[in-house]
Amino acid sequence: MNLRRLKAVTKKELLHIVRDPRSLILALAQPLVMLLLYGYALTLDVDRIPTYVYDQDRTPESRELIDQFRGSRYFQIQGSVNGYKAIDQGINTSKILLSIVVPSQYSHHLLAGEEAPVQILVDGSDSNTAGIALGYAEAVVASYAAQMRSNAQVRRGGQALQPPVEPRIRVWYNSDLKSRNYIVPGLIAVTMMMIASMLSSLTIAREWENGTMEQLLSTPVRPGELVLGKLLAYFTLGVADMLIAIVVGVFAFQVPFRGNVAFLMLTSCLFLLGALSWGIFLSATARTQLMAYQLGMLSSFLPAYLLSGFIYSIQNMPKVIQAISYLVPARYFVTILNGVFLKGVGMRILGGEVILLTLYAVLVFVGASRKMRLKVA
Amino acid sequence: MPSAVEIRDLVKRFGSFVAVDHINLEVGRGEIFGFLGPNGAGKSTTIRMLCGLLQPTSGKATVGGLDIATQSEAIKQHIGYMSQKFSLYDDLTVEENIDFFSGIYGVPRERRSERKDYVLRMAGIEERRTSLTRLLSGGWKQRLALGCAILHEPPILFLDEPTSGVDPIARRTFWDLIYQLSAAGQTIFVSTHYMDEAEYCHRLALMYRGKIIALGTPAELKQSLASHHLLRLEVSDLVGSMKVLESLEGVSEVAVFGGGLHVTVADPSPAIPAIWAALKQAGIAVSVLEQIEPSMEDVFVAMIEEEERKAA
Amino acid sequence: MRERLIEIIRKEFRQAFREPRMRGMLFMPPLIQLFVFGFAVNLDVDHSRIAWMDGDRTYESRELLAGFQGSGRFDIVAEPSNDQQVQDLLDSNKVDMIVRVLPGFERDIHRGRTTSVQILINGANSNTASIVSSYASSIVNNFSSNVMEQRNRDRLAARMMPTAAHIAVPDITAKSRVWFNPELKSRNYFVPGIVVNIIMMVTLMLTAMAIVREKEIGTMEQLMVTPIQPIELILGKTLPFALVGIVDTILVVVAALLMFHVPFRGSALLLLASGGLFLMTSLGAGLFISTISQTQQQAMMTTSMFFQPFFLLSGFAFPIRNIPEPVQYLTFLNPVRYFMEIVRGIFLKGSGVDVLWPQMLALAVFGVVILSLSAMRFRKRLD
Repeated sequence: MNLRRLKAVTKKELLHIVRDPRSLILALAQPLVMLLLYGYALTLDVDRIPTYVYDQDRTPESRELIDQFRGSRYFQIQGSVNGYKAIDQGINTSKILLSIVVPSQYSHHLLAGEEAPVQILVDGSDSNTAGIALGYAEAVVASYAAQMRSNAQVRRGGQALQPPVEPRIRVWYNSDLKSRNYIVPGLIAVTMMMIASMLSSLTIAREWENGTMEQLLSTPVRPGELVLGKLLAYFTLGVADMLIAIVVGVFAFQVPFRGNVAFLMLTSCLFLLGALSWGIFLSATARTQLMAYQLGMLSSFLPAYLLSGFIYSIQNMPKVIQAISYLVPARYFVTILNGVFLKGVGMRILGGEVILLTLYAVLVFVGASRKMRLKVA
Repeated sequence: MPSAVEIRDLVKRFGSFVAVDHINLEVGRGEIFGFLGPNGAGKSTTIRMLCGLLQPTSGKATVGGLDIATQSEAIKQHIGYMSQKFSLYDDLTVEENIDFFSGIYGVPRERRSERKDYVLRMAGIEERRTSLTRLLSGGWKQRLALGCAILHEPPILFLDEPTSGVDPIARRTFWDLIYQLSAAGQTIFVSTHYMDEAEYCHRLALMYRGKIIALGTPAELKQSLASHHLLRLEVSDLVGSMKVLESLEGVSEVAVFGGGLHVTVADPSPAIPAIWAALKQAGIAVSVLEQIEPSMEDVFVAMIEEEERKAA
Repeated sequence: MRERLIEIIRKEFRQAFREPRMRGMLFMPPLIQLFVFGFAVNLDVDHSRIAWMDGDRTYESRELLAGFQGSGRFDIVAEPSNDQQVQDLLDSNKVDMIVRVLPGFERDIHRGRTTSVQILINGANSNTASIVSSYASSIVNNFSSNVMEQRNRDRLAARMMPTAAHIAVPDITAKSRVWFNPELKSRNYFVPGIVVNIIMMVTLMLTAMAIVREKEIGTMEQLMVTPIQPIELILGKTLPFALVGIVDTILVVVAALLMFHVPFRGSALLLLASGGLFLMTSLGAGLFISTISQTQQQAMMTTSMFFQPFFLLSGFAFPIRNIPEPVQYLTFLNPVRYFMEIVRGIFLKGSGVDVLWPQMLALAVFGVVILSLSAMRFRKRLD
């Protein structure tokens, strides 16, 4: 490896980056846009579920039940209706997600000490929200029911009975259960993967398309120098992106940071190197920018987004997909990020992941250098 | 003295298509060697093989004494190459392009700024050293590309169609540069499809459909057209004359050229009076009828047509 | 004009389909995306890994364990014995939850006292956490009411009421019915959305790239010198990709139905018609991007930069309802939102034009506006 040639390549690549301000700005703005979306606008947390109430009973008892829902922050009563048709309409037009129907014999059953069913209808299209909403609704009913039972006991037998066994729930790491807290750290991985793969995959393909690659190949420059030079140039861009993502995430979105900054930097750089090398590898395989980009999206961004555990937990995927996720470097990086941000852990727990990331970076770099053919055909 | 370039039975196949078909030639040191032929003849393919960009299918060649199949990396240290698209980086300035290639070719530190100034001067772009390459016109880009290829003073230079798409004045200037370089001792291997540029070379090879169909100095090649003598005519009726002359015995070829006709004949002595007579009989007035020296273009066109006749 | 148009379209098709790689690229990525998205994207929590710490080891504690195991939702993967192990299990994400039964559990139950079960939830993934948390609560609550019933029976037996009357305790139960997606499979929710994603991606990207590529290579100039009319160029560049978009749509929908058994309750014709409306928007956007980009790289980066927010704020994975109010209003300007609603409506609810006409109207308006504006801008560039 000739240092002088390497320097020349790196300098040229940096010049290319700087001379295309549009791409540069887009690259730097990307993490901001994603953070804005995921940190502010998008959330999986469920509350203010629009609900209809259909009270067929219209007794003090039924109204008391309905009040339980009114008082809960999870439900937003949009109105009282008088028939199933209205509920139908509401769900079909997505005006409401849930409907509580109190049957006409409700208070009768209740006062007679019998089972008093209450109907809950939910729009299952968005299964995640539906499941959670249903859980909340059932919980409201259950706790009200327990209270009623206890009152009945008091009326009959004297003491108010407390439930014999209570669940004491404590949530670790993310006690507010804010989805933002776990999405934002993972977002750093996804953003970096996206930018890294996009930019680096285009660079070699572009030289082929322009014809400058042929010129380069006729010179003494070695493939390793070419790859490393491009890598170093895009690395600086990647680091800038990473810093933006981290700083904005922590300071603007108040995502907790409980770990070690040096460890975070080290692992981020490792990941970035691997991601960039992969992009360059792709670039050396594809002769056109369009192809390089598509390959990049499919093999870098998509897996990073879906299979890294960033939003969708890997455990719940089919075994085959889970196996594939082991090949996705973003998976290990997301684990590291979550660990560092939310749990404050370090090498002891995450050592395995760090080793895997290092291995990946080295292997792909060597692969990319090998793949860079010295011949036109 | 060992030759700069030696090619023996070189072949390059792409699938079933034979791009370069058993060619043989030698280029001496300090020569300007022209490689001519129509598009698709195999010129670029040959040059790329010599520069180590393509792996030959069979045959042997050496550049500067080094084998192209096994020592291509070493070869790259000693050559300069200018590709057909004169690939410079559009979004870099003139200076930045020079600096880049300087670094890539490993120009020694002490010589760097001297070489840079030389190239800028040679290309005539000193005032434009900080301009973006994208903004240069064709002629300047071309000279800059040449300059970038010689920063490291390579003994052998390969230029692939360096004058394509460049205006005639720029072309002339470019060839002046090539002469300068050659005078200084560099060997220059140039390919072109402009037949008139053939006159500028010390020696030529004419390539057609992967084969070399002619090899020698421009004078030798013109001589070889012993059986082809060229007459120039100016007549009152071009089309009519063509009809008459095409079927005339002793006339091999009639072509429109400029405002008149170029007629190729086997033997001018009987042909000239015969033509006079035939045209007069057809009632066509002839203002000029003279024998001229064939140009390289004529030579090549004739040779190529000969090849086509053989193939048919 | 017709002949020229046909020539351009023919050229475009040739360019697109000549290289086998290119051919592959038009149809493989959507299928791959569908495959990966469909299988990976899944918010269902079916097999939660939990750790069980039984400090009591009695009949009652094992009954509680049976309750968890019997629910079919939990897999017991570890049985830690000390605090450090608990910490490590949660730190290394090996479990979603740890259930801890303290010594004296059974004793307290038999003595009629109130006791508790400790549940430590791994909050790292808050979505999973809240789901797992509510499962766990309901199991414990269930267990609790069983205990209570038992106690009642015992109490009654102890008091020896002569009329062994069955003391009825009021029991309010929730009977839930889930519409459209009774098994609550998140896949049914996502897959239709993926269809939208893919169509948008393909048409938007390819259109923008095809045009910019010609600019970069220089053949655009070539075209401009011919007698070609701007409208012919526009149509020539967009129609092939519209066709590709429609073919991709059909391909992806069919694959979705076959691979994932997602229900399709509505009208295929309506889907195609809406798709056509939506195509106007995505092709127009592609055209627009091509007018503001000089290089393919710029086109690609601009496309993904704009694609993301539009797509994410369309209700694909994150319900619009959850978005903060001010941004919710912005989504009304997002054509993808309307198409998403239409596609979901057709797949899952079997909705027809009577329900979906507002969205279709919105799509039509957006489509016409965007396409015209882009076309005008494109035209100006050519002149």
